Amino acid sequence: MYPSGGISATIYTNRLRAEGMGSKEQAVAFANQDYEALKQQCVESGCLFEDPCFPAEPPSLGFKELAPYSSKTRDVEWMRPTELTGDPQFIIGGATRTDICQGALGDCWLLAAIASLTLNEKLLHRVVPHGQSFQDDYAGIFHFQFWQFGEWVDVVIDDRLPVKDGELMFVHSAEGNEFWSALMEKAYAKLNGSYEALSGGSTTEGFEDFTGGVSEMYELRRAPKDLYRIIGKALDRGSLLGCSIDITSAFDMEAVTFKKLVKGHAYSVTGLKEVEFRGKIERLIRIRNPWGQVEWTGAWSDNSPEWSEIDPSEREDLHLKMEDGEFWMSFAEFMRQFSRLEICNLTPDVLSDDALSHWNTMKFYGTWRKGSTAGGCRNHPNTFWINPQYKITLLEEDDDPEDDEVACSFLVALMQKDRRRYRRHGQDMHTIGFALYEIPDEHRGCQNVHLKKNFFLSSASCARSDTFINLREVSTRLRLPPGEYIIVPSTFEPGKEADFVLRVFTEKQSETQELDDEISADLGEDEEITEDDIDDSFKSMFAQLAGEDMEISICELRTILNRVISRHKDLKTDGFSMESCRTMVNLMDKDGSARLGLVEFQILWNKIRKWLIIFRQFDLDKSGAMSSYEMRLAVEAAGFKLNNTLHQILVARYAENEMIDFDNFICCLVKLEAMFRSFKHFDKEESGVAEMNLTEWLYMTMCG
Amino acid sequence: QFVPSNPPPPRRPLAYAEQHESDEEKQFRKVFQQLAGDDMEVSPSELMNILNRIITKHGDLKTDGFSIESCRSMVAVMDSDSTGKLGFHEFKYLWDNIKKWQAVYKNYDADHSGVIDASELPDAFRAAGFPLSDQIFKMIIRRYCDENGNMDFDNYIGCLVRLDAMCRAFNTLDKDKNGTIKVNIKEWLQLTMYS
Repeated sequence: MYPSGGISATIYTNRLRAEGMGSKEQAVAFANQDYEALKQQCVESGCLFEDPCFPAEPPSLGFKELAPYSSKTRDVEWMRPTELTGDPQFIIGGATRTDICQGALGDCWLLAAIASLTLNEKLLHRVVPHGQSFQDDYAGIFHFQFWQFGEWVDVVIDDRLPVKDGELMFVHSAEGNEFWSALMEKAYAKLNGSYEALSGGSTTEGFEDFTGGVSEMYELRRAPKDLYRIIGKALDRGSLLGCSIDITSAFDMEAVTFKKLVKGHAYSVTGLKEVEFRGKIERLIRIRNPWGQVEWTGAWSDNSPEWSEIDPSEREDLHLKMEDGEFWMSFAEFMRQFSRLEICNLTPDVLSDDALSHWNTMKFYGTWRKGSTAGGCRNHPNTFWINPQYKITLLEEDDDPEDDEVACSFLVALMQKDRRRYRRHGQDMHTIGFALYEIPDEHRGCQNVHLKKNFFLSSASCARSDTFINLREVSTRLRLPPGEYIIVPSTFEPGKEADFVLRVFTEKQSETQELDDEISADLGEDEEITEDDIDDSFKSMFAQLAGEDMEISICELRTILNRVISRHKDLKTDGFSMESCRTMVNLMDKDGSARLGLVEFQILWNKIRKWLIIFRQFDLDKSGAMSSYEMRLAVEAAGFKLNNTLHQILVARYAENEMIDFDNFICCLVKLEAMFRSFKHFDKEESGVAEMNLTEWLYMTMCG
Repeated sequence: QFVPSNPPPPRRPLAYAEQHESDEEKQFRKVFQQLAGDDMEVSPSELMNILNRIITKHGDLKTDGFSIESCRSMVAVMDSDSTGKLGFHEFKYLWDNIKKWQAVYKNYDADHSGVIDASELPDAFRAAGFPLSDQIFKMIIRRYCDENGNMDFDNYIGCLVRLDAMCRAFNTLDKDKNGTIKVNIKEWLQLTMYS
């Protein structure tokens, strides 16, 4: 997906994204593998596809329990369905819940999610694209689509599946010759690096990766009174639901209770029903164990006597006799036995025909970077304000007749992307959360504001995420009066780096945008200085420094600058390097001599003097160097309005241990000003876009 | 008109990358782990130490050593997520190029002076994969060579790393391949300030 390293890759990606890449219609090809093209090649050459990106080799299985040479992976063979059975099918009679039986992998969470998915054909076929089979144009190649951090990704696989003792090792269908579920598991394993990477997780993650929806979690001990109604509404809306029983110790994992419920195991909720029982209405809930077996044995279970007491026609409809993992229980019992319920709400692009349940979705990609945008939570008032800020405008109140409160319902979900390098240290997730503030009067209606420290010192938040927690996603349902608000997503501690996706779902129309400073520079007029304007003492100093040629070379500039700063003991600096002097000379040099004449030097000198004053003024703690957030204010005072991304870049480029010393400060500002000027030069018509050819581009970028 | 080397491969999940790499990459990863330390990313000062350690082994390369400033700049042009550090693939890409360009440097230092002089430079750069116009070569010589028109090893590497990155950036952004690119102020500043 990235054509090359460097910042241009990021820009390129952003441009493609703006054109719709990553949407459901334009899924990103994972590892740049194009399904249609690869399939075409295979069909033409008559070979079955062999995926070089996820080879049929031990490392694709796992790294610990399923590591190469481990007992669990001994004698594993990779076989195609056509070798396993005479008549393999992709899907028989539509996907059903019984197509998914767990294998030798702790990915019940995933299977519970897949099971829920089969309940909605439309949803399923977003993940499992139509038109795949073992009969027509079979070439050993299949593809599936998953949602990953805001984008749809198309994953191609070959159909070689791990087999042990003649049986599929992992997911298999009850029928034995139906393979969509096993292939889908393989594709998801490829996306995550290996089969073992799927071990242990939350159903929520599976839900979201299959739908791009947003999840809510309910602790059943503290569930809202109308949970039955919420579940009913969710099932009607096609939401995906999962439930589980908490474990109190690792010893409890997959422990089976007296009535055959499995602890620490992910079940899916598949139905809800009210029946008349002994003259009263009894609420029932249908649940499925992804193992395809081990069912509840209490009241309303498959063979329980309660069934004989209800209306025979209803019994006919509901009664489950098969040991297929699916069972009914009373809702009250469900609330007692289970600990948590997860609901994945679907976004409008998923269910386009269902006008009633539309959520409006807004999506932002953001980053926290040490020293520039990773400000930590409200407990850190000095840095909290540097976090990215996003504005939302709630326009319309809900139409809820039972409620006279004027309020808009919305859901905020903050998801961190897993930063791969933390994985190996076993701490892949940061503790994250968010807070909302009402925008103060003076900024109302403004496009570009970044609220500063003082605002947050004097204002309380009007809503927050429930907690700061180390999950992949934190989501909270909120209700606020119509108005303008900012959302500040953050990690708990400052200085924690991660990329995130912030999504806002509103029931009614609303607007959102990143609250970010507009990019502009107050450059003043290009200083028109002639030799006559320069006073004699400066001229004689210049003559001394420049020597006979009356030009200052890179080396001479370095000597001068370092002599000057050595007189200012309060400035922290390791001296100007040749590199930075070269940059300055190249940027200031107008005549292409690679040296500075009297006038050019005077201009540079004036700038340095001006910026020295700013440097001292904003070095609030008088440390002699600029902390990265002092830097943000200083850059602004020097006349440059930048956005978050750019502040981030300045810190990444010029700070050392989050501090910017004097020489880096000056280099940064010289360059910033030069780049604003050169942009203006290329954008003569002020269209906002500069156009250049390769020569012009290299002239500009190789200089400084 | 120029022939850039293949760009670094896309970033993939760590587990994925580690399990599916070639033996050569596995070897290199071991070295990388030692160089990059716990965070598995190479910072500019780590890069500087690595490069300076290597050039001491090559007495025939004239250089006053890599400065932290030029290492910052090299990291910046290679880094796509503005962390200020290089990951494994970015670093490997840089590394392979430096190796390749070092061989070119030695080859084209015809007089064995330890530096590339202005007359040797265009051929050396062409051999490194950058057949640029005379106009651009003149500019590079003016900007990167010392007063006597000589380019020492650290400047040579710094210049090529930048040139390679800028050519790749141009190619990336010139999506329709019409020979021009268009950027807005935000993109312009991102591209130029982070270099």
